[in-house]
Amino acid sequence: MARIGVFICHCGTNIAGTVDIGRVVEAAGQMPMVVHAADNKYNCSEPGQALIRDAIAEHRLSRVVIAACSPRMHENTFRKTVAAAGLNPYLLEMANLREHCSWVHSDGKEAATTKAIELIRMAVSKVARHEKLFPKQVSLTKRALVIGGGISGIQAALDIANSGYKVVLVEREPTIGGRMAQLDKTFPTLDCSSCILTPKMVDVAQHANITLLTSAEVKEVKGFVGNFEVSIVQKARKVDHAKCTGCGICWQKCPEKAPSEFDMGLGKRSAIYIPFPQAVPPKPVIDTANCRYHKHLRFVEEKREGKPPPQCRVCEKLCPVGAIDWEQKDEVLTEKFGAIIVATGYKAFEPAVYAELGYGKHPDVITGLEMERMMSASGPAGGDVTRPSNGEHPRDVVFLTCIGSRDEQRGRTYCSKVCCMYIAKHAIILKEHYPDVQCYVFYMDVRAVSKDYEEFYKRAQESGAIYIRGKVSGIRQEDGRLVVRGEDTLLGEMVEIPADMVVLAVGMEHSPGSAELAQALKVSYDINELFIEAHPKLRPVETMSDGVFVAGACVGPRDIPESVASGSAAAAKVAALFSQEFLTTDPMVASVDQMKCGGCLLCTKVCPFKAIDTQVLRDGRTVAVVNESLCKGCGLCVATCRFGAANLRGFTQQQLLAEVTSLWQ
Amino acid sequence: MAIDFEPRIVGFLCNWCSYAGADMAGTARICYPSNIRVIRVPCSARIDPLLVVKAFQLGADGVLVAGCHPGDCHYTEGNYYSRRRFALLYPFLEYLGIEKGRLRLEWVSASEGRKFSHVVSSFTEGLVSLGPREKVPAEGALP
Amino acid sequence: MSQTAQIRQAARELLQGKAVECVIGYERGTDGVNARPFFAYEAAEADRLIFDQTCTHDLAKYLLNRKGKSTAIVVKPCDSRAINLLLNESQIQRDKLHIIGVVCPGVVERRWGTPGAKQLNACQVCQQHTPVVYDTLVGQPVSEPAVADPYPDVAGMEAKPADERRTFWEEQFSRCLRCYACRQACPGCYCPECFAERLDPLWVGIRIAPGENEVWNTMRAFHLAGRCIGCYQCEQVCPVNIRLSLLNRKLEKDVLGMFHFQAGMDAESPPPFSTYQKDEKLGIGE
Repeated sequence: MARIGVFICHCGTNIAGTVDIGRVVEAAGQMPMVVHAADNKYNCSEPGQALIRDAIAEHRLSRVVIAACSPRMHENTFRKTVAAAGLNPYLLEMANLREHCSWVHSDGKEAATTKAIELIRMAVSKVARHEKLFPKQVSLTKRALVIGGGISGIQAALDIANSGYKVVLVEREPTIGGRMAQLDKTFPTLDCSSCILTPKMVDVAQHANITLLTSAEVKEVKGFVGNFEVSIVQKARKVDHAKCTGCGICWQKCPEKAPSEFDMGLGKRSAIYIPFPQAVPPKPVIDTANCRYHKHLRFVEEKREGKPPPQCRVCEKLCPVGAIDWEQKDEVLTEKFGAIIVATGYKAFEPAVYAELGYGKHPDVITGLEMERMMSASGPAGGDVTRPSNGEHPRDVVFLTCIGSRDEQRGRTYCSKVCCMYIAKHAIILKEHYPDVQCYVFYMDVRAVSKDYEEFYKRAQESGAIYIRGKVSGIRQEDGRLVVRGEDTLLGEMVEIPADMVVLAVGMEHSPGSAELAQALKVSYDINELFIEAHPKLRPVETMSDGVFVAGACVGPRDIPESVASGSAAAAKVAALFSQEFLTTDPMVASVDQMKCGGCLLCTKVCPFKAIDTQVLRDGRTVAVVNESLCKGCGLCVATCRFGAANLRGFTQQQLLAEVTSLWQ
Repeated sequence: MAIDFEPRIVGFLCNWCSYAGADMAGTARICYPSNIRVIRVPCSARIDPLLVVKAFQLGADGVLVAGCHPGDCHYTEGNYYSRRRFALLYPFLEYLGIEKGRLRLEWVSASEGRKFSHVVSSFTEGLVSLGPREKVPAEGALP
Repeated sequence: MSQTAQIRQAARELLQGKAVECVIGYERGTDGVNARPFFAYEAAEADRLIFDQTCTHDLAKYLLNRKGKSTAIVVKPCDSRAINLLLNESQIQRDKLHIIGVVCPGVVERRWGTPGAKQLNACQVCQQHTPVVYDTLVGQPVSEPAVADPYPDVAGMEAKPADERRTFWEEQFSRCLRCYACRQACPGCYCPECFAERLDPLWVGIRIAPGENEVWNTMRAFHLAGRCIGCYQCEQVCPVNIRLSLLNRKLEKDVLGMFHFQAGMDAESPPPFSTYQKDEKLGIGE
């Protein structure tokens, strides 16, 4: 027979002011199996906890009910208290007399007291059916996977590697560097983006603890914190990187050209290529969609009519080390990791939905990212900003902010955060390079909230950029120029500005495939397919999936400093995780009684964490079995199980039924 | 109908949203009737319909099931399953003669203390106007 | 060739060729009028098999005792849905099974010694006269005319005021003896330990009392939500004639209306409680 002790907290006057503690103590003392009931000014204070510990010893209590505040507040505190007195910490139940009773029923002492007594009776009936629970220890693989080789992934990989742990960095493109590599200069300091980024890229390539997998994608994730098993597809590059020295003869001689993704289609690259000169690894890949030899192969394979295009194979002939490997296929690598950092970044919003702005129709309407490539000294134009329509220098440049941002109808609801600043940057740099340029900015609000940002915005205004508050309703072509028509809401009138170029300050969107990756990782994502943190304020780099962390713009729009900071923060979380020898698992998880399992296996299908496996018993029956390391303790399987075979420790069917039943005893 | 009728309500609240929402109502001192007795569960998906049926058998005047808003489930999808389960149980109990207003499924997030208070108040009022459940004849009183 | 002759021929060939160890079918019962289940193990026994309007049993239930053993079984359309149900729930293996599906015009209520005249309630509302799964089909498939209101009985019940419904079910459940014959006859009731007979947790008290009877009957039906295949053997075997089909059919109707699902129509579709649509509108929690 259980010996239950009930400790009723006054919480100063928070509870005692509304609830008649004396009556509650008396009633609790008469409940079945209760051998000790006492009140306490503050249960959670050290003297209060000491009284509880002493009472456990004195009355040989085997279970404890704390009637005080919400268990979400102090359950852990009191678990430690009872553990210190030698009890299993899970032989504790809390009755929520404060948040659920005294604070919300302050108008009726009688009713509140009655409710308090019943809440305690429920807790007593439940605690009587508590079992001792023991957390388990599992070993862990001290090796991290970083998905995405942009600035936050690079930072995370370097920080983990510098803490002494192995890291695999997976990047889907042929090079790391991400979006930051495409940028010309960074606000507000106007540092050259690639000058500060490329040394870090080289560090990644040279770090003994980092394995870099480019042209690779995560396909499947199994396992759990400490022991993930991840399948990574290494896409065929048709170039053996072990042999390749990166001499460059192949991409210089390749006769086939295609629009360069890195240059946002403004420049060309060969079919065998590195995305940009400082790419890491500095070794090429063959783009089989454009390669002449592959076109020839496809022609033959599909048995098309006519004469096949010539087999080119110039790269193969010229390669001094014989690195071209036409037979190379996609490979699947399966690796073990203890933790995963997602840093998949963003893609720029596609502005074509705003038909009135004429992107794609008027060649002189470009996006911010295209402007970056145009301005970049290493870009296709060598830093010379010209009108795509006629190659002349523009005189009047109009910037439109919030393209795809803060728009519930056609874009995204959120603010993309960086656009106001990169527009200011463009305006400042344009003015520096071409003093006769006049910049206009149509804006909704200027958001310049980080250190030195407001000053930077002022600098753009002082450089001569004219800021017009309002939205643009349309852009038309007239006499070889563009006319931007919009409303100046401060003056309350329509304005028309003739322009040579229009730059759309497009916002940030989730990178393609985010939802699939989130599903594979069992991480939640929102309607914008952005990853959701475990807590937006207090756990910003963790996710609800233990051992999976998030960094950079895959969580929401972020600028470079924030991306770097979150990369480092995620790395610190991983390092803290890896500093442990074992991981402790929560024992409040599901279990399946094999004798009662009828083997319908519905639970294995509904489990959100794929934590239920099947097992064939010696008598030939197939039954469900819970993988306790994967189980998060939601209890969905329990409600799904008709057999009554599944149960959830800490919230068993017996306990919940006892709580219900106690209300009518 | 007795004016001083105090309905008995069993509330199953998910730990992460609705229980926290009820805590929030407490922290903000948003008062509501004291008729509800809360049972904490990790997720609304944990609630076996048997527990609800059992509560009604024992004499509950109303049963409240509350969980995270769809899409916000702490366990990513538990509440979608509970929504299906209770969507079916609800008309079935009504069919058996347990009036519509006696079982209620609500989404209450951790920040919706006011909503929790409102839900309990309106539920309690509804039950008062429905009146006590007709008692199932006691043992030996078989017709 | 009559249905009986076709079944006998198929069974004989299967047993002779050792394709199966056993054929589960019907034979004439001792009263000379009704049918009873029959297990043929030898080719010579095939001629005892029959099929007519007295073959009421849902034989699919017997497959649960022959897991992993090669078996042929004679099924009516409703029973064929039970097979899909059991396949869906991983209870039986399709490759061990030879299904002799019988096109069925409906069967009649059993009466000892005299041929029944009244079709079963289930058969009067049946909309599936051709088996949904079979290896050998006995009889010509029939087209199913669309029925405007497939659940008139349920709709009639729903239309009654709440207190009338309550009185009706109280009266029905008050007769329950908790003999569990309904459970034993049901192909979907195969829990190793029924919740009604568990001592811990004690969901259903041992005493035969209205409250306990109510929990039993409610949960028996609810455990079959999205699973009842409409053979209504439960009602057929109930010694006190509780209208169990009215419970099952209410759930059937709502499952169809809400989730567009009918149990046992195939062996793959996920049952309603093992799947969801994120944006479905179910009239609750909205």
